Amino acid sequence: MTDAAHAMPAGEAMLPPAEAELGSGVYNEKLGMWVFLLSEVMFFTALIGSYIILRFSRPEAWAAPGEVLNIPITAVNTFILICSSVTMVKAYAAAADGHQQALRWWLVATVLIGATFVGVQAFEYTQLVHHEFVPSAGLYGSTFYTMTGFHGFHVTMGVLCMMFVTWRAFHGAYTPTDHRGVEVIGLYWHFVDLVWIILFTIVYLI
Amino acid sequence: MEHAARRHPNYIGVWFFLAVLTAAELGVAFLPRFSKQTIILFLILLAVWKALLVALYFMHLRFENNRIRLLVVAPLPLAAILVVAVIQEFR
Amino acid sequence: MTTIAAQPGEAHPAHADDRTFLRKYFFSTDHKIIGIQFLLMSLLFLLLGGILAMVIRWQMGYPNQPMPGGGVLPETMAPGGVVLPEFYTSLVTMHGTFMVFFAIMPLLVGVFGNYLIPLKIGAPDMAFPRLNMASFWIAVPAGILMIAGFFVEGGHASAGWTSYAPLSANPEYTGVSLGQQIWCVSLIVLGLSSILGAVNYISTVINLRAPGMTWFRLPLSIWALFITAILVLLAMPILSGALIMLLFDQTLGTHFFLPPQGGQPLLWQHLFWFFGHPEVYILILPAMGFVSDIIANGSRKPVFGYHSMVFAIIAIGFLGWMVWGHHMFQSGMNPTLGTSFMIATMLIAVPSAIKVFNWLGTVWGGNVRLHVPMLHALAFVSMFVIGGLSGVFMASTPVDIYIHDTYFIVAHLHYVLFGGSLFAIFAAITFWYPKMFGRLMNPTLGKIHFWLTFVFYNLVFFPMHQLGLQGHMRRIYDPSTYEFLRPLAGLNRFISISAFLLFASQILFVINFIGSWWRGRKAPENPWEDTGLEWTTPSPPPHGNWARTPTVHHAPYEFSHPRATGDFLPQTQPLPAEVGGGAPAGTPAQH
Repeated sequence: MTDAAHAMPAGEAMLPPAEAELGSGVYNEKLGMWVFLLSEVMFFTALIGSYIILRFSRPEAWAAPGEVLNIPITAVNTFILICSSVTMVKAYAAAADGHQQALRWWLVATVLIGATFVGVQAFEYTQLVHHEFVPSAGLYGSTFYTMTGFHGFHVTMGVLCMMFVTWRAFHGAYTPTDHRGVEVIGLYWHFVDLVWIILFTIVYLI
Repeated sequence: MEHAARRHPNYIGVWFFLAVLTAAELGVAFLPRFSKQTIILFLILLAVWKALLVALYFMHLRFENNRIRLLVVAPLPLAAILVVAVIQEFR
Repeated sequence: MTTIAAQPGEAHPAHADDRTFLRKYFFSTDHKIIGIQFLLMSLLFLLLGGILAMVIRWQMGYPNQPMPGGGVLPETMAPGGVVLPEFYTSLVTMHGTFMVFFAIMPLLVGVFGNYLIPLKIGAPDMAFPRLNMASFWIAVPAGILMIAGFFVEGGHASAGWTSYAPLSANPEYTGVSLGQQIWCVSLIVLGLSSILGAVNYISTVINLRAPGMTWFRLPLSIWALFITAILVLLAMPILSGALIMLLFDQTLGTHFFLPPQGGQPLLWQHLFWFFGHPEVYILILPAMGFVSDIIANGSRKPVFGYHSMVFAIIAIGFLGWMVWGHHMFQSGMNPTLGTSFMIATMLIAVPSAIKVFNWLGTVWGGNVRLHVPMLHALAFVSMFVIGGLSGVFMASTPVDIYIHDTYFIVAHLHYVLFGGSLFAIFAAITFWYPKMFGRLMNPTLGKIHFWLTFVFYNLVFFPMHQLGLQGHMRRIYDPSTYEFLRPLAGLNRFISISAFLLFASQILFVINFIGSWWRGRKAPENPWEDTGLEWTTPSPPPHGNWARTPTVHHAPYEFSHPRATGDFLPQTQPLPAEVGGGAPAGTPAQH
């Protein structure tokens, strides 16, 4: 019997396991990533939930929107991250359609735009610190840096994984019948964008 | 899911809509005519709308089977319980 | 080999197993090896937690007296062998921490989740074998770090295993700085290991069940592990978030839990217990699952009320999210909130009671075999009842206001965690040892170990209910400083002596475990004559578990089937055909 990975008919990699009872209806890696994302939902719930609770308990500890934080730059950065979600999903579509060149360049774009987001965020941090808005600056500073910092950490991890996927794409690893890696990193990436959509609203605008 | 004759959703269209909603958020946040409560409500609605667009179209939840959709929404009530319950401490 | 999507490069049974020693036993992706790795690591921590308990009991039984052998401890911990108060508080903290996070949880989930899930559902391995390996190797540094905390300046964490802020956030209160930070970091790392493990268990149970293994044909051990994995997945990240905020308060000057500048100590308690309550169900549900499997086997009968058992597990898992405030009745939290927690807590006794009745219903009228796992499983049921009953007292807010933070609570938690979980762990280890190591444990040693443990365990923990009702607080260094506790000194000493004897009795288990591995009788494929899928493959199973994916034909626990020739029917064997059509009255429903 040959190695299991080659014994499968084309396309079966992206279907649920063949010789098994009906489970989730999707292949293992996609199920695994969704399950992992649920844990991430709870993680951000702890951070964002604490922010909401603390703000309820002492609203006067917060400045008005825009007073301390730079809304214009962050609004642009939000748009930048949304763009990277679009390039990501275009990469996925390219993989599904077998357009190797498009796949590679959409992935490169996602990496670059994602890295830009992190860079702008880091720049924003240096500006804030310069104006003495630091993590120890009351409840406002504590919650701001913890929430955005861990989001930024997740984006950074995403960029690193994306670089790996891009490298694999340049080696032709993804075909229309098996582009699991692209779909799975895509789910993570969109999730990170989704969290930012929430964060931007409640941290910067409210 | 069949991958053979696949038609993709209009990703660019969704992108445009997300941009519009983001602009709307900025508008609402800084419009003086609404009360603080109303502004917050609108902002949250707009944010949730954007999040749903990303989840449904970019993460393809619109096209997944019900099991996956059920899996995904399951923890949300838990998150709500935590926040709602603990806020009672500070009313 | 099956057509289940395999990781590239993964060995499978049709090929010769040509992995190196290191790949086979150390950096293995095989769920069975990883399960055994967790077993060895957790047993070491169980021993360490037990040693800490001995020092605690010395101080409680013989306050301020030099401990035999205490001279080996440094001056910062026990000068002249006399335990210092600061060291004592780190002892109670670390006993709880090691036992909960590094012993019981990994024993139940890391060991048996890993070992049993693929085998009992008919899969060749976990859905993500390399992630599984990562899970183990991430837990190891977490454990090393947690031990290292004893050797840093200021000593180890001393704010209790619950690490309440601001006690844990402000080093001026405990005098401990680095130790508390290490505690946080270690648990954050361990949390990652647990979450990745949960992703694996959940994905595997959902997607890799063999043909015929429908949801309601899963053994209860797997249902329990599945629901537990969901609890781990959703609860551990809350702890991780809380630990990060605590760590930032300790190191970055943030103000999440420190009152000056607006921090809220109650927020820590809510976050911790929102995790902490599901955590205690994580510590009991798998145990309940193993006990169901073993009691069915020992009674030679199907589990009574299988479906209600499944719904009870789900109900406990679900309700467990709504009761966390019952750990906080004394905290000064909103009283209306307190009442809703009281009601939810009383409700959760119902599914637990259903399970107890069903275990009893399983044994009743069975052809009972009192093998060693069965003894431990029956002990589980009776001890869990006691622990559960004391829980009903504590669920009532007015009662809890009196007994909170007394030894009544200590009695309760040890009845459910030792009387419950640990007996179930002994049962499970003994039951699945032959499958894991290909050897049988010595039954005589096993029975002596069981009885000594059972007797001494009750002598240690039952009197603690009395101590608590008479007002003996927990975590205190010297009871003799309190006038009203002086009459209890004799009882404390009795408990301590019983504890030393309890600890000594465990030597028999150690001898049995190690000795049988080395020289035990070789185990056949199915020494317990059980119906589970794991018993249809050699002991120990080969890499990949089966040459061909098994097919499941019926529900678990088909013992004493009226039309079968033997007294058990493996799940891979079809039910005997009916003669003349129509099931005879009393035949279990065929799913």
